[in-house]
Amino acid sequence: MEQKENRQSGERTPCSVALVQRRSKSYRQSYRSCLGATSRLFTPGHATRRLNSSRRAPRPRDIKEQLDPGVLSLLTRTEWQLSYVTPLFQFRHTRLKSYARQLSAFMAAERQQGVAVEVQGEEHTYRGRFSLLPGLVEGEGEAEAVLIQLWSRPAFSRADAAEKPVWSGWFSCVRGGDDYLRSLPPDFVGLPLFCSSGAESLTATVKAWFSRHFDCSFGALPLDQDTLQWVAALWANCHLEADLRHLTLLWEIPVSPPLKVSYAVEPLDAWTLWSGVRRAPSAVEEGVIGVGEVEEFVQELKRHFHRHFRLQLSAGNLTQVSSGLGAAKSSGRVKISSSRYLVSTLSLLTECALLKMPI
Amino acid sequence: MFSNVEMAARLNASEASDSDQSSPGDQSSSTRSRNRSLRLAEKERRKNEADSFSLALKYFTEVKSGTPVVGNDDFERNLVCVEKTAYSKGLHPEAVSTMLEFAMSCRMGSSPCARVLKCLLPSSVVPQEAVVRAVVWLGISKIPVSTQILFVKWILTMFDLIDGKAQLRAIYGFIFNFVTDENLCPFICHLLYLLTRKESVRVYRVRKLLELQSKLGRQPFLLHLLSLYKVFCPELVTLSIPSRMKTGFKNYNSPWKAALVGVLKRNGSQVAQSINLLASASRKRKLGHMDLPVLAPAVNTQAVSESLCKNVVPLVQIQSFTQLLENIHQIELPAQMGSLLGSSLALQYLDCLQDESALLRMNFWLGYALHEEFLFFNNGGANQNSEEAQQFLEKLLSTQHFLQEGFSSTEAFLYKFLNVWDGALMRPQILGLMSNIPVIPSSHIGQLLFEPLIQLFFTSSLFFKCGLMECLNNMLLKWLTWHSVYALEDDLDISLNSHTSINMTLSGFKNSVMELVYFVGRLASVGLQGEDCHSLLLSFVLDFYETVCEMFLKYGLPLVVMPPPGVFYPALFATDPVSVDRLAYIMYRYKINLASAKYQEKRMEQAFHINRQTFLEFNHYAVLMVNCLWNSKMFGPGTGLELSESLLLKSKVPNYGASFHLVHHPAFLSYAVDFHQQCWPKRNDLDLNSIKQSKALGWYLEFLISQGFDGLKHFVESNISWQVTGGQGDSASTQTRGTPSPPSAPFPGQRSPDAALSFPPLLLHLFPRIHPPNSRSQAPEDTVAGVNARSQGCEAPEKDTLPYYRYYRASTPLFCTGVAAYLCLFTGQTSIPDPTPELVHLRPDNLPPQSKDREMVWKWVSSPCPSPPWLAPVSPSV
Repeated sequence: MEQKENRQSGERTPCSVALVQRRSKSYRQSYRSCLGATSRLFTPGHATRRLNSSRRAPRPRDIKEQLDPGVLSLLTRTEWQLSYVTPLFQFRHTRLKSYARQLSAFMAAERQQGVAVEVQGEEHTYRGRFSLLPGLVEGEGEAEAVLIQLWSRPAFSRADAAEKPVWSGWFSCVRGGDDYLRSLPPDFVGLPLFCSSGAESLTATVKAWFSRHFDCSFGALPLDQDTLQWVAALWANCHLEADLRHLTLLWEIPVSPPLKVSYAVEPLDAWTLWSGVRRAPSAVEEGVIGVGEVEEFVQELKRHFHRHFRLQLSAGNLTQVSSGLGAAKSSGRVKISSSRYLVSTLSLLTECALLKMPI
Repeated sequence: MFSNVEMAARLNASEASDSDQSSPGDQSSSTRSRNRSLRLAEKERRKNEADSFSLALKYFTEVKSGTPVVGNDDFERNLVCVEKTAYSKGLHPEAVSTMLEFAMSCRMGSSPCARVLKCLLPSSVVPQEAVVRAVVWLGISKIPVSTQILFVKWILTMFDLIDGKAQLRAIYGFIFNFVTDENLCPFICHLLYLLTRKESVRVYRVRKLLELQSKLGRQPFLLHLLSLYKVFCPELVTLSIPSRMKTGFKNYNSPWKAALVGVLKRNGSQVAQSINLLASASRKRKLGHMDLPVLAPAVNTQAVSESLCKNVVPLVQIQSFTQLLENIHQIELPAQMGSLLGSSLALQYLDCLQDESALLRMNFWLGYALHEEFLFFNNGGANQNSEEAQQFLEKLLSTQHFLQEGFSSTEAFLYKFLNVWDGALMRPQILGLMSNIPVIPSSHIGQLLFEPLIQLFFTSSLFFKCGLMECLNNMLLKWLTWHSVYALEDDLDISLNSHTSINMTLSGFKNSVMELVYFVGRLASVGLQGEDCHSLLLSFVLDFYETVCEMFLKYGLPLVVMPPPGVFYPALFATDPVSVDRLAYIMYRYKINLASAKYQEKRMEQAFHINRQTFLEFNHYAVLMVNCLWNSKMFGPGTGLELSESLLLKSKVPNYGASFHLVHHPAFLSYAVDFHQQCWPKRNDLDLNSIKQSKALGWYLEFLISQGFDGLKHFVESNISWQVTGGQGDSASTQTRGTPSPPSAPFPGQRSPDAALSFPPLLLHLFPRIHPPNSRSQAPEDTVAGVNARSQGCEAPEKDTLPYYRYYRASTPLFCTGVAAYLCLFTGQTSIPDPTPELVHLRPDNLPPQSKDREMVWKWVSSPCPSPPWLAPVSPSV
């Protein structure tokens, strides 16, 4: 009996000769499907990815020559609501005009709750306009930033009145981690950071259009403590080249009733403190700021506050950082007032957006 | 008109003052009771919430005009309380009146107005008096334009929920006056459109509207209202209305709709028809991240133009499986890959889809949805869509089940989610997803999977532990299945396959499996200790080892891993017979697998071999089991369990060596007693030892097997051979020693000079087991084996009397648990003895064919037993 069983088992083991060939379709496919992700999936610390522990100090970069002054003032005067976007499928920078037409048709259809039909020359309530934002790239192979605007006539205006932009949004990717972009198949365009400003309903409609056309998904991008601390430190670092005015940090202490602490630091004080915590730059890594320095900077600020007010700010949450260079809120609203530091701030935000990528 | 509202407010106030005094006490008691009982605490919390809510309402009723808003903590606290209630349960009609009155009267200025309006979500209906009052306030108080618009939008949204429209119609003229306000005009027109009746249409109103139209242009909202007027009174409106006019007013994406649907759904619909209305409206609203996208053809024009020339068929047009088959080469993917999840036909297509970027799109979407729902919590606290999330996960699970694989985005999500999971949220679904995780390289498996799981396992309930065991078992099963399918095709070495992107060699795979099995072994050992060897948990653990023991034969993986002592001993000393039986079965399967592996190794000269240590472990366990269940020699020297005599005496169990004999084993005790009663119905005193007599023992075993203990049957058949004579046993061993391996004997003469290091003979017990019924001979002592196996040799108390039985029952489980715990703790210290080389495997098959005894045995076994003692309880002459 046993003997028989042994023989049977011999046939079932892989080493025997006569094998039934079967197709294993799905397992192979599953590994294909994640080939972009595999490399990153198994990198150490994947489960708890964090911001880079060190980054270059922001260098002022003039993008005035590359960008239209009107657009530049739009970028720097508006407070943007941040979102992250999964890579866009089959997005072509060469087809922006046709996208604009389709978006206009879609906006009209959404208001009618119908199906978008693109008709040449028809007047829509909202007119979409797509344009490139040249210069908002740092690394190689990064997709150029794209600005989307919706123009419309005011409701009670005459037919010949000029159109006004009612909504704007733009995609960008600045120094967005070469590995990630490289691992994407060529069909995909990685523009992980999306900033929008305008009525929420319009934002939702535009996002819906993008989701349907490029099979991407939008998610809110709140800024966490670490990011805000980085922002504060990077701005303090710019004191010598730019007017910081006041570095203002807003803490919310979770007590009942809620307590908000607004903590304004004189630019010179901030700079002195910052140069105090800066470690001597080694020859190799000049201009690189480590996360330790950032933490120490904020820690010192908190300590100073505690000395005077006997209140541990560590118990609360840093919710807002603002200065002459801009403002960043934990809710994900960001204003970048200085065009010179636009690119360097965007690279930090791009990194945050990439952290949110599902795979 | 207002008396109702005031009364309600007063009523609230009195309620609030009642609960006012008790509230601080309640709060402190609620903190105390937190540990007592979750349910109690929940109840308490609800009560507190209700109290603070009525207090808040009281505050808003009574607050003096001119009270500052900035820095007013009372105001802030009360408003937060109202908001919380509104978003979770909605406001009852009186509360709606109170809050609306507060907001529109601008008692604290206009700044809180918008905020209050945003949270005005009725739980059932909106009292029309409140709306009328508010409209009146709209005329007199100084409210910013945007807030005015917000208010009219609010009325439009809640229109179906207003409990009566008569009073609103009564002030039609009053409302009509707002039409002249440029900002409010579109919304007021909409409201008027809803309120208009034939009698409201007046010449001066028509005239006013026409005047407006000439000023503003042909605005759709004016046209709509005018067209309605024309329907009622065609003689008054001479205007020609364009026939192809856009229908309907704008569908405002107001902040209330989603929240309102949620609130009404949660409250279980008191206003069923309005829900229907709202639901139809909400169908059009923006898709949430848990909603599947609609299956729609690709909208990217580039793709469309390509598709036109290529004559492709959009997936959405495929209606049947036949169509799918006919068009499978020219199917166009939908605009959003996520929509495939919603249709079963699309899943069929997904199954054979090879397009890498399409799958990547799917993974991006899926990962996004999972992340948003479970990791980022971007949906806000307002909508607790746990039901929706559960449906989503179940859909995902069934999809993965259908595809027989997990999505890589699910995998990536799980690695993150396990770190924050509480082990309770969506447990069945998450565990289900987890069991779909494909093979993880052994270098990462610890960090990605084991570390978070260890924490969850040791802090969770028994049921979580069982669930996790089941999940890991399923995971292992899937890995092994994957291996058996894959290895078959690719001739063992997976890395040879150049067109796959995974680089997993056979040894890599083996390492991963080994890690997993060891990990489960550790979990199970400690888990069983922590849960007092709970039989439910033990059952799940044994499930796992039932998979493990078959790895070689069933799945073709040259790897055998024995269970750790922390699993083996609790199973062996379990108080339920099923566990012992399953352990026996597992050991039997281990033996078959090891034997087969050994045989393969010899024959094929393959590079693989099973670790010697595994054989040693197996031998150790097997010897121990036989000693324990059969030989009544549990703690003797050389049995592997060497407890000091004094310790055993301390346990005060008489005849401890025999405590786990099949007759005395706590798991089988009831069977033994049953058997005893059936065998000797006339005996008054219970003497279990009489079962151990050779004949009775054989019957007892048959009795057990007839009760369904097949595991025991297999174990006994494969491991325990009955005593023939010492001489024959010797001869059998001599015979096998010299001959080259006959295929029938798996481990013939496997012996090297150094027995401890060589492969020992797998098992060997010469043993008195089933004696032919006519054989009266007492089983002689077995001297061949190092193990003293004697059928009656156990030094039991002279008489197993009934009182003794009672005592035994009372004490044995304790003793059992004690020994098991002791073993678990000190397994590192118990010495595993060298298996005795003299032990020879003797089974019916290897008996010399001419052996008379063998023939007799087989005759006895195969011939129908005329009267099994337990069927026909004839008292045998013992």
